[in-house]
Amino acid sequence: MDLPIKLLTLAVAVPVFGAFLIPLAGRLSVAARNTYAVLLGLATFTAAAALAPTVLGGQTASFSLSFPRGFDFILHADLLSVFMASISAFVSAVILIYSLDYISHYENQTEYYTMVVLFLGSMMGLVFSANLLWMYVFWEMTGFASWRLVGFFRSDRDVAKANKTILVTVFGALCMLVGIIMVYFDHGTLDLRALHGQAISYAAAAFILAGILSKSATLPFSTWLPDAGVAPSTVTSLLHAAVLVKIGVYAYARIFGVTFAAPDAFSNTVLYLAGASALVSAGAALIETDIKRIIAYSTVSQIAFIFLGLASGNKTAFVGGLLYILMHSVAKGGLFLCAGIIEQNTHTKDITKMGGLFSSMPVTGAAFALCSLSVMGIPPFGGFFSKYLVFAGAAQNGSLPVLLMFFVGAIMTLLYLVRLFYKVFLGEPAGHGNPREGSYTMVASVMALALIGLALGLLIHYPAVYTELLTGSLGVNLQ
Amino acid sequence: MDKGLLAYLLIPLLSAVVIPFAARNRPKLADLLANVTLLAGLVNLLWLALRPSVIAGGFADIPGDGFSLLLVSAVYLVGLCVTFFSAWFLDEKLPNRQAYYSLILVSVAAMTGVVTTTDFFTLYVFIEVLAVTSFALITTDDSGAGLEGALKYFFLTFPASALIIAGISVLMLSLGSLSFDALRVFMASDIPSGPVTFGAALIMLGFIIKAGVVPFHTWTPDAYQGAYAPVSAHLAGIVTKISGVYAIIKLATLLRFFDGRAQALSGILMFLGMLSIAVGALAALKQTDFKRMLAFSSISQVGYIVLAAGLGTPLAVMGAIFHLFNHATFKTVLFLNSASLEKSAGTTDMEKLGGMEHSMPWTSWTSVVALLSTAGVPPLSGFWSKLLIILALWEAGLKTYAVLALLFSIVTLAYFMMMQKKVFFGRKSQAAESSPEVSAPLLAPAVLMSAVIVALGLLFPYFYTYVKMVAERIIL
Repeated sequence: MDLPIKLLTLAVAVPVFGAFLIPLAGRLSVAARNTYAVLLGLATFTAAAALAPTVLGGQTASFSLSFPRGFDFILHADLLSVFMASISAFVSAVILIYSLDYISHYENQTEYYTMVVLFLGSMMGLVFSANLLWMYVFWEMTGFASWRLVGFFRSDRDVAKANKTILVTVFGALCMLVGIIMVYFDHGTLDLRALHGQAISYAAAAFILAGILSKSATLPFSTWLPDAGVAPSTVTSLLHAAVLVKIGVYAYARIFGVTFAAPDAFSNTVLYLAGASALVSAGAALIETDIKRIIAYSTVSQIAFIFLGLASGNKTAFVGGLLYILMHSVAKGGLFLCAGIIEQNTHTKDITKMGGLFSSMPVTGAAFALCSLSVMGIPPFGGFFSKYLVFAGAAQNGSLPVLLMFFVGAIMTLLYLVRLFYKVFLGEPAGHGNPREGSYTMVASVMALALIGLALGLLIHYPAVYTELLTGSLGVNLQ
Repeated sequence: MDKGLLAYLLIPLLSAVVIPFAARNRPKLADLLANVTLLAGLVNLLWLALRPSVIAGGFADIPGDGFSLLLVSAVYLVGLCVTFFSAWFLDEKLPNRQAYYSLILVSVAAMTGVVTTTDFFTLYVFIEVLAVTSFALITTDDSGAGLEGALKYFFLTFPASALIIAGISVLMLSLGSLSFDALRVFMASDIPSGPVTFGAALIMLGFIIKAGVVPFHTWTPDAYQGAYAPVSAHLAGIVTKISGVYAIIKLATLLRFFDGRAQALSGILMFLGMLSIAVGALAALKQTDFKRMLAFSSISQVGYIVLAAGLGTPLAVMGAIFHLFNHATFKTVLFLNSASLEKSAGTTDMEKLGGMEHSMPWTSWTSVVALLSTAGVPPLSGFWSKLLIILALWEAGLKTYAVLALLFSIVTLAYFMMMQKKVFFGRKSQAAESSPEVSAPLLAPAVLMSAVIVALGLLFPYFYTYVKMVAERIIL
């Protein structure tokens, strides 16, 4: 086997199979288990990122196992999958490191690490799969892992919300499976490479879209995501910011961006749905008082901007949408991890009981501010460039109502993040005894994410070149 | 009679006869004899089916139609799990221990007879033997619930037997022969099929009742709930599947539904299958007793098999066979786990349990594997069999059925999630504090079956090749 193919199989096999050995490592000692879990995360990221030179050089790598009836298991590394895999694996690795302290005093830690790594592995499988059926398989595996993780604290309320999460996303996934079966009988294959540039029927596209929207928590399936906030912060961070909601976005980019030529009316529907989603969730974020729910609603709202970029149908917007995935993963991951530190040290999630935390948690506060600026889209942070490109591209297509909806959404983003920062870090302290700063590894992880967000803005040239190359070489039906 | 597999019928029968004498004064010997008999049979079967050379040859060397071999293996696998479990589960002082094992072995022999026979009369004889042993097995639990279940079983299955024998007579009169081949040849010809189809329909109706398909499902929850815990695993895992569902699949292939002969019968069968899926799943949502929920879940899963059998295309038959085997694996795990719960916590009432995963992690995780497979979550085995069934429906143009069957997976998942929440997931309840994990031998069957579920899911291509070979042999 060539080196790229080895890397490709390793990026999927290491976390998927490695996850099941975590309980064994847990038998040895706590330290061995934690080290092993972090190593799995780092190894996955290394393998995924090491594929970048190959795909940048115009090469692709494929690995396939033959299954009956055209259900072949195909892993395929191209510009899009390597891009997405590297981002997800990177944020997951940071989260694993952060977890070392965050999770250290709870029950069920072994299950936690197993599920996080299994989640990462399923995500890798999903991203690299070039067969729609196997995308579905890994899609469900991520749903399973998130079910266990959302129910981590095990109270009736937690478990009920975990069940809600899995039922909503599995319902969407089954709709998607109907769409996949339609594609299967329309085209006779599920190999995405063979389907490149083909037309897709409205019905199939609509069913697949239902699955995508349920996973990315976009209207009308958005309600599970704020509820899933009962999980530990690392999980909400992992699920929301970095990986789970991006699965839907990735699937959109993969299926309707670079494989099928989506009909125009279909893309327009997606734009209106996303616009409504952006407004409704931004409104919810403005009035919510639970810090994690605010950030969760903010995620729903930002995901809509990614859809705006991906569905606008021109290259500028598509590049913007891809960059948005990168910027949002980093910044939103940072916000959630900050929320985790705050929640752990103040023992509350209610922002009305916080206030004035900046003096006691300066580093967390600074990281939170930096990440917020990136999400708002203030230059020179990375978030500015992605938001600018998305709007510039969308403006070219000139649907004024859509643009207006998103413009209002962007202003509301500004408002709720300023409000959140003010309520938590500035103002008068409200009933807390000046909590301590988070532990060293936790603070270092959030600061790293914040600085990376800034660096991505300053060095915007490199990711922009990558995504432009991606769009140019893989994009279908883009102006 | 498929003579190659005759030994698998005779040896358990012989053991069943020997046990009461040999183990009269040494009850533990009964455990040993029953387990050894079934283990030896299973090892033999695995050697027949899974030798490397056989696998490499695409299973072309399998004797007979392959269907019998697969099902005999399933019978032995479930039988072994049940006897092994029983050996540690049964009360030391149970008075009729020997009779219990003899009955299980006789029922294994009868099931082997059912799946190896090649004519309707022998089929009927073995079905009756099976019904009588099941009846007796349900009453092993001599509490009121056991008797109630047994009586319900009696009152519904014996009329079913009457229907079957009436159907067989009609078939004898109109066809002149009772062998499966005669029916197959007749259906392949162009002769108008009126009376023959009528006879077959009567037989089919009998088996539908025995399989517990809606609207004839009312006996199954009572029988499963009332029976002794390992007995309900035996009944739900394999007995009702062999005595009812197997015959439905067999008849469906003999009647050549895919040719469009006996179209009305095929349509009715599919409708009843879909109805079972829906009614079973919705009823399971409302149950508060673990075993009753599993019973309704069985009804729903049998619906999938009947739906596929009613369609009868080669792909559908493959899906039906695959799902039949899968059902045996995951339902056995769940019923055995309910037995473990009963042993450890003293109840299967879900309201009284909670947080059991802390004290019973193995039971909890094997349940998760089995329930995900039942709900058709990939990459477990249940996903592939459901996918084949749904693809077959779609291919035949029955898109409504396909979508409905697919979406009812979400209801399956919903009731299992509820069960998992009430029983295992969640905070520790009082029951969880006081009930330790059951001993390793009691866990072994559930762990083994869970391993089979995972393995069949991951090794789907091999199993697909096998099932395809079976479908080709029994349909052509």
